[in-house]
Amino acid sequence: MMASGYNAKEEDGHHSGAPGNGGAGAVKSKKPDNTAFKQQRLPAWQPILTAGTVLPAFFVIGLIFIPIGIGLFVTSNNIKEFEIDYTGIEASSPCYNCAQNYSWNSTSSCTCKVPFTLEQPFESNVFMYYGLSNFYQNHRRYVKSRDDSQLNGDLTSLKSPSKECDPYRTSDGLPIAPCGAIANSLFNDTLELYHLSNGTRTAVVLMKKGIAWWTDKHVKFRNPGGNDNLTLAFQGTSKPVNWKTPVFELDPNDPDNNGFINEDFIVWMRTAALPTFRKLYRIIQKKVDAPTLASGKYELEVSYNYPVRSFDGRKRVILSTISWMGGKNPFLGIAYITVGSVCFFLAVVLLIIHHKYDNRCSSADIPN
Amino acid sequence: MVKQHFSPQLTWEVRANCRPRYARGRRRSFLCFRWGRYAAIPAIASLRWYTNAIPLILVLTVRGLKDLATDLARRKSDSQINSRASDVLDSKSFCTVQWKDLCVGDVVRIHKDQPVPADLLLLCSSEEYSLCYVETADIDGETNLKYKQALSITHNELTSEPSEKSLADFDGVVWCERPNNRLYAFRGHLRWRGEDHVLNNDHVLLRGTVLRNTLVAYGLMIYAGADTKILRSCGKLRVKSTHVDRLLNKMVIGIFAFVLLTSLLMAVGHGAFEGQVSRFVPALSALTVNGDPVYSAFLTFWSYVIVLNPLIPMALYISFDVIHVLHSLFINWDVEMRWEKKDSPARARNTSLNEQLGQVGHLLSDKTGTLTQNHLLFRQCCIAGRVYGDASISVEETQQMDLSWNPFASGQLSMWAPELVQLLRARQCPIVSEFFTALALCHTVMPEQSKGALLYKASSPDEEALVGAARDLGWVFHSRRRDNLTVLELGVTREYQLLATLEFTSQRRRMSILVRDPEGGLKLYCKGADMVVLERLQAGCPCLESTERALESFAQTCLRTLCVAVRCVPEELWDCWSEVLTDAATMATGERDAVLEALYGAMESQLLLLGATAIEDRLQEGVPETIALLREAGLKIWVLTGDKTETAVNIGYFSKLLDPDTRLLGGQELREVLRSADPGYSASSSRQGDAWCVNMKTARAKTALVISGPELAEFVQEPGTGAKLIGLAAQCQSVLCCRVTPGQKADVVTLIRKHSRSITMAIGDGANDVNMIKTAHIGVGIAGVEGGQAVQNADFSLAQFRFLQRLLLVHGRWSYRRITFFVLFFIHKTCNFALVNIWFGFFNGFSAQSMYENWFIAMYTSLYTSIPIQLYAFFEQDVSAESSLRSPGLYRPGPLDRLFNPLTIAAMLAQTLFSSLVLFFIPYGVFQDSPLGYQTLAVTVSMADIFCVDAELLLLTRHWTAFNAVFLCIAFGFFFIVSRITQQPRLFQLAPADYFFVGVSENAFADPLVWLTALLAGVTAALPALFVFVFNVLLSGPDTHRVHSLAGPRPVELRSKVRRIDSGRRPSGVASRVSSSKGAAAPASGGPPHHPHPHPHHPHRLPLLEDKPTVDGAGVELSVPFIGRRLLPAIGK
Repeated sequence: MMASGYNAKEEDGHHSGAPGNGGAGAVKSKKPDNTAFKQQRLPAWQPILTAGTVLPAFFVIGLIFIPIGIGLFVTSNNIKEFEIDYTGIEASSPCYNCAQNYSWNSTSSCTCKVPFTLEQPFESNVFMYYGLSNFYQNHRRYVKSRDDSQLNGDLTSLKSPSKECDPYRTSDGLPIAPCGAIANSLFNDTLELYHLSNGTRTAVVLMKKGIAWWTDKHVKFRNPGGNDNLTLAFQGTSKPVNWKTPVFELDPNDPDNNGFINEDFIVWMRTAALPTFRKLYRIIQKKVDAPTLASGKYELEVSYNYPVRSFDGRKRVILSTISWMGGKNPFLGIAYITVGSVCFFLAVVLLIIHHKYDNRCSSADIPN
Repeated sequence: MVKQHFSPQLTWEVRANCRPRYARGRRRSFLCFRWGRYAAIPAIASLRWYTNAIPLILVLTVRGLKDLATDLARRKSDSQINSRASDVLDSKSFCTVQWKDLCVGDVVRIHKDQPVPADLLLLCSSEEYSLCYVETADIDGETNLKYKQALSITHNELTSEPSEKSLADFDGVVWCERPNNRLYAFRGHLRWRGEDHVLNNDHVLLRGTVLRNTLVAYGLMIYAGADTKILRSCGKLRVKSTHVDRLLNKMVIGIFAFVLLTSLLMAVGHGAFEGQVSRFVPALSALTVNGDPVYSAFLTFWSYVIVLNPLIPMALYISFDVIHVLHSLFINWDVEMRWEKKDSPARARNTSLNEQLGQVGHLLSDKTGTLTQNHLLFRQCCIAGRVYGDASISVEETQQMDLSWNPFASGQLSMWAPELVQLLRARQCPIVSEFFTALALCHTVMPEQSKGALLYKASSPDEEALVGAARDLGWVFHSRRRDNLTVLELGVTREYQLLATLEFTSQRRRMSILVRDPEGGLKLYCKGADMVVLERLQAGCPCLESTERALESFAQTCLRTLCVAVRCVPEELWDCWSEVLTDAATMATGERDAVLEALYGAMESQLLLLGATAIEDRLQEGVPETIALLREAGLKIWVLTGDKTETAVNIGYFSKLLDPDTRLLGGQELREVLRSADPGYSASSSRQGDAWCVNMKTARAKTALVISGPELAEFVQEPGTGAKLIGLAAQCQSVLCCRVTPGQKADVVTLIRKHSRSITMAIGDGANDVNMIKTAHIGVGIAGVEGGQAVQNADFSLAQFRFLQRLLLVHGRWSYRRITFFVLFFIHKTCNFALVNIWFGFFNGFSAQSMYENWFIAMYTSLYTSIPIQLYAFFEQDVSAESSLRSPGLYRPGPLDRLFNPLTIAAMLAQTLFSSLVLFFIPYGVFQDSPLGYQTLAVTVSMADIFCVDAELLLLTRHWTAFNAVFLCIAFGFFFIVSRITQQPRLFQLAPADYFFVGVSENAFADPLVWLTALLAGVTAALPALFVFVFNVLLSGPDTHRVHSLAGPRPVELRSKVRRIDSGRRPSGVASRVSSSKGAAAPASGGPPHHPHPHPHHPHRLPLLEDKPTVDGAGVELSVPFIGRRLLPAIGK
């Protein structure tokens, strides 16, 4: 692209008129070393920049970005995504009643069923997310409100959690495990998916493992004293105030998904970047012979535990196929195309400027 | 008791041989960190303590160490001086003590060539009449010997007996002024044995002087240590700071204010959020501190102060120092600024002014010793109307005459006049013999026999050159006693009885000597400025016209001229004259001066003109080229000299400071121009104003101001005139200030500093330049021949004036560009990094959640980005050294401060704002409603940041050394490596609270979405930089292209060739210019002794005759195509 001049300046000789008598070494001369570094004559590459070499820069950026953008946009568009808002704000919504009545203090669960229809079959693995909005999971005091040592299985921290956890540090004199506001506000709606076909209601198999990062599951989160006998391990601790079950009963059937290493818990503990976010809830594994989710009628059964009405929050369930770039993300593709186009535009503007200036310049220069 | 008899000011009492209770003035050093500079930067607590503490600790350590080192060095040199030995009288015998143990009232003995330890009252010396000679080079830069004489009472009483005994018994009391800084005045009384004796400056040996030609002198200490006149007058040490420094400090204060203000706004936002939003979010409401949004907001304010703390570029200060030091080292190391002859390299003594070297707008130069070598050569003479020697032939090409017949010939006479030698040896022409007799007699030189050779200690180099020339031609001045002078005329010893010396003063501008020759005749020999001597000739003097012609031609060749005349004095005139003279000696000072003036005038009349001498004060090598180059670079050059106007003007023409057609504006005319309301246009009312106002602009550009010392004092005093003078000078080509005192030199600098925004640089070599050097923004000392006061007080020292071009145009220019770009970029990168936190604040309830991981913040400024930009500041060369010298116009942006001013800072901040917005909002768009968490966002934004900064570095760097490339890659790689290291499991297990980002980069770096987001954000954030880059290339394309093509394979030798054009010839037309400007400045005329010549001088130094090839036509032609129009004027006509 760029024409360049290699401008290696040799260790110039003509200044060091007298041959160095350094060999004799007797006389200490104040003469500075005649090295390339000290003489600021290090060999260097100095690109020769002309309009011809720099103008294409914008074109090149445009040329690279626009195809990337198109690729991203197409990929994103090919991703099938279905979103169900089950917050229950409108009276017509199946979850309206639950939403109206429910609060953290309710003891009984409220269940609502949201029917929906998939127009197109979902191929390959399907990710099931829950999404929350207006939930400031990135609030500093919220983000801080956890004890990573406790979550890592540290026994001392289990009994005396970090001060960061306040006011969810102790409850009734017992240390809370897991302590802190994040854990306390764990998303606890249970979502089940049913396929309605030919009058039968078959549950869609939802994988609840493999949704957390490996590093989180195996490094960052560990149960105190191993995964066996969690009841004993968590003895002397209290459950977070909003929780209905203690931590060692998050998934009593699977010791590998129970306690701190429960993946729903881990996913929740990885706080979101922005107030509107989604978190991976379940994975629907692809079937060998049929589409993962065939088109047709489905029903989402929600056990509505998580109140969002007070802060105008929304709760959604998102079903999405995935690609190499993860879920659907039209923004990035459009952004690439936009920036690429802007570069093209700038390139043209500069080209025009260059032509105008060049003419003026050369006409002014030549007579001199 | 005694006191009340005298003036009440004489309150300083010194009792001889009585160890008094005066406090000793020992200097003390202090270890003192320069906190002041960080006044803007308080030590702030941190995100995690290390995040901000690391840079702070580094800053303080580095600065502390640096200051400690300088302090130790100073302490060492202090103790060196304090421990010098001196002989002090300790009841009956002298013993050696250290200087620091000397006390006021001690009697000290000083041997030949010893420095005087304190201000002493001279009691007696080993010489006749207790004379003693001192060299005052360290005080006023004059290398001539001055004599001091003890009071006759002390001389008589103290030298009659064994000196120890009588000195020990000496119990006089001195009453004098309190310690002050007046170097040339001393008032006091010695009360001894009931009698009062008036003391004046002649009786005092000042500290800083060196005893010469005197075996031993005894003195009574009057002022010691810090009370000595020299220390009193050396002024306060000023800490110099540069424009960039100051603007940077302002900027940092601004940034600090911005941080506070933003934090406040964010805190208000947070309060609102807590009150309006958070209250309803069950998960958050409990977290509001104490349930009180206001208190929460208050705490958030401090949290934001901490989060935004990286905005304050703390690491900048370390880097700034490191860069300055390296730039200074580059100056020290530069072999092209090293004077081979004396093995004397350039030195940057102050390591914090480098970038200011690229901004100098006013250069104030001393003349003698700085522009000139202060090595005078006798080149021509005119005797009886006939000119001998040819000064148009350069010194190097002048053939050596065969002077082997003369055992005293030094072989250094650079004059070719065999016919003159013939005349002399044949003694055919009495007028020629008389001429040289005059040269051999009429002076104040002290001869000194040393190892068989005859050395002359002259009070001025002019005299030395003249007496030396007479010696080489056979008229050897052999010895001087109090009342006779011995001259060996062609081997014949002749003794002249010295009757009277009519000494030189700057008003008289001549000196005469009245002698009785061996034959008994009375003769008056006179030499002086042509104008003065010519008007005192007897009527009908032969050869007057031809001598005047010769004088004019001497002036054309820029030689300093003196006229020599003789008078045969009738015996009766002498009798009556000497009587009046004796009477006059007893008169009161004021009256006596007038009488003497008249008396001398009467004696110095009816002269018979013998001839004229022409002395060359050679310019230093390369001076005209350097001055021409610096003028092209846009510098205003002021020459400040103690010399006469004529000499200064001549040197001005000679050194290309003035062009042949430059109009001189001075004296009354200048005064009128300045007095008029608007110096721009009212000059038309002045006499010669017609041509002057027609084409004001061009006229101004071709005008130089000539100001004399008294005028200058007047302008400085008068309110308003100073500003006008500077305004006028700014339009003129250059300014010459003549007859200025050291104090005035400093006043001029102050004046310029006050009335213009430009950076002043003062260059000088003598102690008389110290004031100016200290007052100017940058002081440069010439250290070529002998290090002295000037160098001690200077910020930079050079061996030769010509190295200034490299210092300014190459080092200064580079430093300025490097440092300004460095500072701008540094602030840009820290700001666009930190501002992201503000944008993020809008989406996290203004809760001061940091956008970055702690480790990233700690590493970002120190590791990821600082090394490449620092290397940029080390190595960047937008054009090569050769091109900078060839195109001095490239220097111009510096003095105008084009690269670092509020405008560029605003542009930079705008760019920063854009970058930070892009860096946040592109990832924001991607992360909106996505399953990727906060920590992934943090890594993505960090990555985008790194991409952006590195892309901008790629664009910024134009000079890619291996270091730049390698370290940019390393810094880039470090981000990924260090991120992986700090986010790996093992560290997390050690300290979960410090390494809670465990596994994030592992997952993020595997996610193409993160990469694509970071890439887009990084590149987009760098787009303005790219745009500016391309835009600059397009606009400056042709220029830089030209410079670059110059920099290519062209002969690099050019500069040095040009430099070596011999400066011995004058462009024609100067003479007419000089004579036409008689009103303001008379043509050059000789410089009799006694004006300051601030240069230590070695009589036996070889003249600089070594290889200096002149440029032959071919050489110039070869070079011309490449230098184009720019350099043609510099090469000459």
